[in-house]
Amino acid sequence: MSQIEFHQVSKRFDNGQEGLREITADFEEGSMTFLTGHSGAGKSTFLKLLLCLDRPSRGQILVNGVNVTQIPAVRLAHYRQNLGAVFQDHHLLTHRTVYENVALPLRVAGFKERDIGRRVRAALSRVGLLSKEGLFPRYLSTGEQQRVGIARAVVIRPKILLADEPTGNLDPELSRDIMQLFQQFHQVGTTVIIASHDRELITSMGARIIELSHGAMVGDAPGDPMEAVPDGSV
Amino acid sequence: MARSKAVRDPWPRQRLGIGAVFRDHLRVSRDTLHFVSARLGTSLLVWLLVGIALALPAGLFLLQVNLAGMSGAWEGRPGLSVYFKLDASDVGIQRVVDRLEAEPAVQAVTFISRERALAEFQSYAGLNDALELLDDNPLPASARAILVSGSSLDDLQKLADLATAEPAVAEVSVEKTWLERVTEITRIVSRLGVMLGVLFAVGAVLVTATSVRLAIEARLEELRVLKLVGATDRQIRQPFLYFGAFYGLGGGLVAAMLISLSLLIIERPLTNLLGSYGQNLQLAGFDPTFLGALFAVGGLLGILGALLAAKQRLGDLEVL
Repeated sequence: MSQIEFHQVSKRFDNGQEGLREITADFEEGSMTFLTGHSGAGKSTFLKLLLCLDRPSRGQILVNGVNVTQIPAVRLAHYRQNLGAVFQDHHLLTHRTVYENVALPLRVAGFKERDIGRRVRAALSRVGLLSKEGLFPRYLSTGEQQRVGIARAVVIRPKILLADEPTGNLDPELSRDIMQLFQQFHQVGTTVIIASHDRELITSMGARIIELSHGAMVGDAPGDPMEAVPDGSV
Repeated sequence: MARSKAVRDPWPRQRLGIGAVFRDHLRVSRDTLHFVSARLGTSLLVWLLVGIALALPAGLFLLQVNLAGMSGAWEGRPGLSVYFKLDASDVGIQRVVDRLEAEPAVQAVTFISRERALAEFQSYAGLNDALELLDDNPLPASARAILVSGSSLDDLQKLADLATAEPAVAEVSVEKTWLERVTEITRIVSRLGVMLGVLFAVGAVLVTATSVRLAIEARLEELRVLKLVGATDRQIRQPFLYFGAFYGLGGGLVAAMLISLSLLIIERPLTNLLGSYGQNLQLAGFDPTFLGALFAVGGLLGILGALLAAKQRLGDLEVL
């Protein structure tokens, strides 16, 4: 049984636009997959449905065998606590420090302060921002803010990590650094799904690539580990 | 084929220990205090509005309690005075007095003859010279009946009818004593208090709801992120219930201060007024129980307002 299964998932928005059309795809536990396609192809809709930020018009999405499209609101929170999500515009809280931003999922999950401190520092260390834990996000560069977003997504050690255009605002070098971070999480067994339109970058990662166009799945290329760039030591 | 049945729950609901719950409440109350103190001007305004809304019905409640106590201490009792015709015979007068005394509602009947009435009038009014010019005594004989404790207005009216039917009687004056007046005033104050209480409670809830809604709007981005990382609806709502409770408790404090201030201001004239009726000022009701109730009602109304705002604004909150 795959960890994530899309079964003929379609999404039609209120304005009649088709976000996704009959998508069927499986994702194995610990796999790394890129969703690519032009703007409006359905990449973000795909991730939003998986995060249960929206509901599909038709079809089923199974995660660990549970149809998450029918999860009641009260269990939705617990489902989301087991996912990590990274967005292009970070969604950091500007009036909270880097430490507090990263600690947010742990506080929500009711961790003890001692464990929160340990986990937050481990996550910040992993993204290379341990020295900046006391700063507010506005004092960080865009790349650093994205790393804080990644640290917040992985601090709870999710089994599934989703990222929507995480390198959208970054230069090529920073983009590669960020992608290597995701690859590190994939290598320790986390299922990673990244939406990105940067075909050159994702091709170089040697991972599976699903191509979407106008909401439909038009390509599914398995990964070639030989193409992957050497892992950076972040 | 989709499979969604008979699968063990992969995301079981976490049972937080008492320590985690306590830490959570402590953190939220600290955050709330920080938020409230960072917007002190707005918070003071809300406290003042809620305080005024609480102070008016609470003040009326105190007034009602004191009026009720006052009426219990009053010496006067309901009664009636019967004035006889100037040419009424002694037999006729005695018959009326006897009939009144025989009534179970009557405690005592005091008869005042025409001569005694004249003597008392002279001694009180100081009109000796004027009265000496008259040929006859113009004052009628009278009898005053005092009713037993607990008598009703119906008893009083029955006695008045009985006396009026007698041929020797010229006039019957039913005395609405201070007791009755105070009782009536107490009843009015009580009803006014309930009415204003309901109106101002709704006002306090709306003021708090509006303030909490503003607080929600100011933190929408944070709430969306919280929802994204898996905060439950209870966790999202919790800080705002604290806001409501803080605003309500602050309002209770302001109300207590306003009532204290009012009592200080009216203490002297009230003492003088009651003194003129032979009463001592002993304000009842403004005690720790009253203050506790004031704070509890304030807190509850605040939480109610916060729940209203949270239901309106957070019910359909979209994550991103």
